[in-house]
Amino acid sequence: MRKFMVIVGLLLIILSFAAKDVIVVGTTDKIRTLDPANCYDYFSSNILQNVLAGPVDYEIGTANIKPWLFESWDVSDDGLVYTFHIRKDAFFEDGTQIDAEAFKFSWDRVMRLNGDPAFLLTDVVEKVEVADKFTLKVTLKNKFSAFVSVLGYTVAFPVNPKVYPEDSFYEFEPSASGPYKVAEWIRDVRIVLEENPNYFGPKPKTSKIIIQFYENSQQLRLALETGEIDVAYRHLDPRDVLDLQNAPGIKVYLGASPQIRYLVVNVKQKPFNNPLVRQAIALAVDRGTITEDIFVGLANPLYSMVPAGMWSHEEVFPKRDLAAAKEILKVAGYSEENPLEIDLWYTPSHYGTTEADVAQVLKESLEQTGMIKVNIKYAEWSTYVEYFLNGTMGLFLLGWYPDYLDPDDYLWPFLSVNGAKSLGSFYENKNVEDLMIAARAATDQVSREMLYKLVQNFHAAEIPYIPLWQGSADCEAHDYIKGIVLEPTQIFRYYILETK
Amino acid sequence: MSLKSYIITRIILALPMILILLIMIFFILRIIPGDPVLAILGGKAPVEVIEAKRHELGLDKPIIIQFFDYLGDVAKGDFGVSTLTSRPVWSEIKDRFPATLELTIFSFILALIIGIFWGAEAAWRKDKAIDISARVYSIFIYAVPVFWLGLMLQLLFGIYLRWLPVGGRLSPRVSLDIKTGLFLLDSLISWNWEAFWDVLKHLLLPGVTLGLVISSIFLRMVRNNTVLMLSKDFVKAAKARGLKPKVVLYGHALRNAFVPIFTIMGMQFALLLAGAILTETTFSWPGIGSYLVLKIKYRDFPAIQGTIIFFAIFVVIISIVIDIVNALVDPRVRY
Repeated sequence: MRKFMVIVGLLLIILSFAAKDVIVVGTTDKIRTLDPANCYDYFSSNILQNVLAGPVDYEIGTANIKPWLFESWDVSDDGLVYTFHIRKDAFFEDGTQIDAEAFKFSWDRVMRLNGDPAFLLTDVVEKVEVADKFTLKVTLKNKFSAFVSVLGYTVAFPVNPKVYPEDSFYEFEPSASGPYKVAEWIRDVRIVLEENPNYFGPKPKTSKIIIQFYENSQQLRLALETGEIDVAYRHLDPRDVLDLQNAPGIKVYLGASPQIRYLVVNVKQKPFNNPLVRQAIALAVDRGTITEDIFVGLANPLYSMVPAGMWSHEEVFPKRDLAAAKEILKVAGYSEENPLEIDLWYTPSHYGTTEADVAQVLKESLEQTGMIKVNIKYAEWSTYVEYFLNGTMGLFLLGWYPDYLDPDDYLWPFLSVNGAKSLGSFYENKNVEDLMIAARAATDQVSREMLYKLVQNFHAAEIPYIPLWQGSADCEAHDYIKGIVLEPTQIFRYYILETK
Repeated sequence: MSLKSYIITRIILALPMILILLIMIFFILRIIPGDPVLAILGGKAPVEVIEAKRHELGLDKPIIIQFFDYLGDVAKGDFGVSTLTSRPVWSEIKDRFPATLELTIFSFILALIIGIFWGAEAAWRKDKAIDISARVYSIFIYAVPVFWLGLMLQLLFGIYLRWLPVGGRLSPRVSLDIKTGLFLLDSLISWNWEAFWDVLKHLLLPGVTLGLVISSIFLRMVRNNTVLMLSKDFVKAAKARGLKPKVVLYGHALRNAFVPIFTIMGMQFALLLAGAILTETTFSWPGIGSYLVLKIKYRDFPAIQGTIIFFAIFVVIISIVIDIVNALVDPRVRY
């Protein structure tokens, strides 16, 4: 009997250790594709960031670039030619070496296939050449100081030339080069990551990660509370996050998010073509009620398109001032008897379940002037996009998730003429565009910072967009899970998660 | 007409039906606002990138040219490539359909069990408590929207009692070797009892929801037909011969009542697929119904068209199979 008890005890100890080597993460996100040439959504990129090694990485918890597959790089004096030196000990899962040929194959493939994220390279890169086995030479079309930041995005991650087809997208599990490999992938059910023994970097703290897909916040929350999953990452509703902050045994992690939300103002459409109308709206919007009441403190008011915490950020938009808004409206010819009548548009599901509430708060805050009457309108996402591209909508809610962490990605897509067209503001200012081109060409951060501050001030004066709030990232986990870091880059690293 | 020529005629007639459906869905999708490229890249990529992508997908061609291009591909068995995932639509349907099939078969069996036994007993004891309760049940369940029923069952068994999972097909920590995509069958094939129990638990709530809704139709049909049969002379004769009540009911009355019910069953199976869309959305069931909802949201034209055509072909096949079985079961049936 004693022997039996000892065996059972030993088995239990072994099992408890074995169980610790698996962490289950739940999410309501979905994987669209695991081919870097076509991957342009958050969660697919997130998986790739844990399965593939990229040219550069960020220091954990910061937005500072550090070498990864590229050990170092040189830039020519004219800023157009980048020479990258590739590390010699990096291999794909099947033993294929990651060299300059692999990079050239991958980047040429991205540009040839012209998938969703391809423009990040095609807009900038003129040609890619193999200088020698471990040296890659890239010539740019124009000077672009944020180029290395772009390489942090998965579109620039090399793929295995022996596995990925040259002329079509690849729909299966990636050939791993990062900390994990994909051991199982049941689409929309789960994906299982296991330690990749061929990875040159440090071993993952947990050898197996199971990522389970859920349909909505309630199911995700229930799965966490019942212990079906250890970690819930994206997307619990703000109220669920608040509830879980008081739940025993569960820890809520909050971090900065680079996502910004804003109102777009179509500057070509009446009455928004009147700068006074735009100023009055910018003064009347109530950011505080949105962040405190709807997002229960999980978001922060934003007063510039460049998010708080990023270099060059400056609070260029004024705080709420109803009296000033009323004065401006009077000057513009409006009164309580003759109010400004406007439509405010939102899309009900693309940005989560809170969007209708946001529109309602905005309506109330503008109507508090007594001189604005707001009609709320909505359209499903694909219709919404069509409407803002063809200029149907004058004032509407939109959000931005950066492709690379640089002020350029918060200003150029909004204020360049082409960018403004694709976001429905139709703003045009050659001086602002020239300032941004100059900032792209400048190599020292001090000059760039000065230029970006100028651009932000121009933006606040002309108001084609009204920044509203900056999201915060959240993650909920049982208190025995360690290693959760919500990074400003939004890279969620499964390989540093562990059970304690 | 012989059964063989009937089947051939049915298949030939199905072709224009599918073509009309294809034309309808193709043009409706393009008339309503929304565009697949805008749905994916809108609000991010520059206008010229969006235009280039539309050109690449042929969305800038005249609609009629797009239609004939698509028709040519479908004729070759090519459903196209999903604009959302760039995967062949057929591969995606193959991935998703087993989940719907599993849910549908489970619900169908449940609905049959409830419908046949309760319906037959209600007919036998007409106007007694069991009959009245059957009639109230069938009207109530028929009137209840399937998603509401699903939400209530979720709330009770998933959230308050926590007996059953409220969504998904398989718990994260349970492993399963997938061969057919029908998880219940896969777990049986591999003698994986842990997975079998887990899959069954996941299947119960969505399966019962969908099954109950369909059971109300079966129940009414079985009850009414059996009541009719019980008044026939052959039943009276059977009773007079001293046969046991169960034998009279199940062996004589119900057996004869079953022929029209069998035809209805085929039609209900098609309806079940439609009901699966709502059930799958409510229970996060990764089947073809929730797939279609997602694809509609992103205006993924090839995927929507492919799924609907697939549904249509499937329903045609089911109805032909039902006709064949009907002919084999009932020798009086001739076509």
